[in-house]
Amino acid sequence: MKEMNMNLEQFNKHVQESDKPVLVEFWAPWCVYCRRIAPAYDKIAEQYSDKLVVGKINVDDVPEAAQKEKIEAIPALLLYKGGEVVDSIVAPDSKARIEEFIEKNL
Amino acid sequence: MEHIYDVIIIGGGPGGYTAALYTARAGLDMLLLEKLSAGGQMALTSQIDNYPGFENGVDGFELAEKMQAGAERFGAKTELAEVYSVKLEGKIKEIDTSEGVFYGKTVVISTGASPRELGLEKEQQLVGRGVNYCAACDGMFYRGKTVVVVGGGNSAAADAMLLSRICEKVIIVHRRDTLRATKIYHEPLMQAENVEFCWDSVLTELQYDDKFTGVRLKNVKTGEETDLPCDGVFISVGRKPVTEFLAGQLELDQAGYILADESTRTNLAGVFAVGDVRTKVLRQVVTAVADGAMASHYIDEYLAEQM
Repeated sequence: MKEMNMNLEQFNKHVQESDKPVLVEFWAPWCVYCRRIAPAYDKIAEQYSDKLVVGKINVDDVPEAAQKEKIEAIPALLLYKGGEVVDSIVAPDSKARIEEFIEKNL
Repeated sequence: MEHIYDVIIIGGGPGGYTAALYTARAGLDMLLLEKLSAGGQMALTSQIDNYPGFENGVDGFELAEKMQAGAERFGAKTELAEVYSVKLEGKIKEIDTSEGVFYGKTVVISTGASPRELGLEKEQQLVGRGVNYCAACDGMFYRGKTVVVVGGGNSAAADAMLLSRICEKVIIVHRRDTLRATKIYHEPLMQAENVEFCWDSVLTELQYDDKFTGVRLKNVKTGEETDLPCDGVFISVGRKPVTEFLAGQLELDQAGYILADESTRTNLAGVFAVGDVRTKVLRQVVTAVADGAMASHYIDEYLAEQM
């Protein structure tokens, strides 16, 4: 779970250079709802490992990334294709909702 | 032939995982369906002081993980599945979910409750962009800003207290002329320098351009409408039970809670309701876990009768 966290360099590299779409969760340790997402997000990372690059940004550790994307609420999931954000979802309330979000954008 | 579980539990809060612990430990073939992660509403509470056994209180998310682990120690199984619809009337109950259809001889409903919405235009779309339901979760984003808290009950008062420590200004909007919250909250809120009150008022509009700009208020006594600029609004006007997916198959009370007494038995044989989703006087973690244990007792009894 921890190893999904990216620093700014990794974030930029993945988003800009990945052949696959990149899913990034913006989160923070003090965000109680972010903790609730974690078990589902881990499963999603496993499930979609061949279709997506899945990572996380701790907005406290990497504020530059959060500022760039104008993140105002977390947990926020952003999906990137070719370096651009194609869609986002804030505080999805089920694993199924995250899957819907991915499927409609793949 | 499809697999038929002895027990299917819908919802992984404290009531659900206690039912899971008791039924798994009793050797029943059970499955718990949870749409996100263990704990339900409890998982959003960082400090629980009224669940016995923790002298310094306990973090709700951690308690939830412990309840899940405690049930799994006896073989309890969890599927991260969202329930779409159910068929509860026959001897074999059907649960249609995002992970497929599951079949059970008995069903425990422990879906709990969720925050009640105001029903304003664009309320859903503005969630996380100015509209919030959980001060403990989203309060930090409003550091040094001005926020409105809607409601007058205990949770609204607690939210306002928390926000008053983070925000520049907190304005409590309540449709009556006094708080319904327990007395313990009144004094500190009245004393707080950065807390103001708008009595006899309701929200009629959420205002935004490219970001949230404020709310429109209506005085319920005079009918007068005013604009109140703010950076965000925290809505704390009570909870509603999660019972829509039942589509009328169980008897509910007027507020939508499942009618069941302390036995947790509903009007349908083999279907049980535990925790906040059941009609009860006191909705607490400690009463939810009690329900979970009661349900397992009556599940045993019901399954024995069916043999």
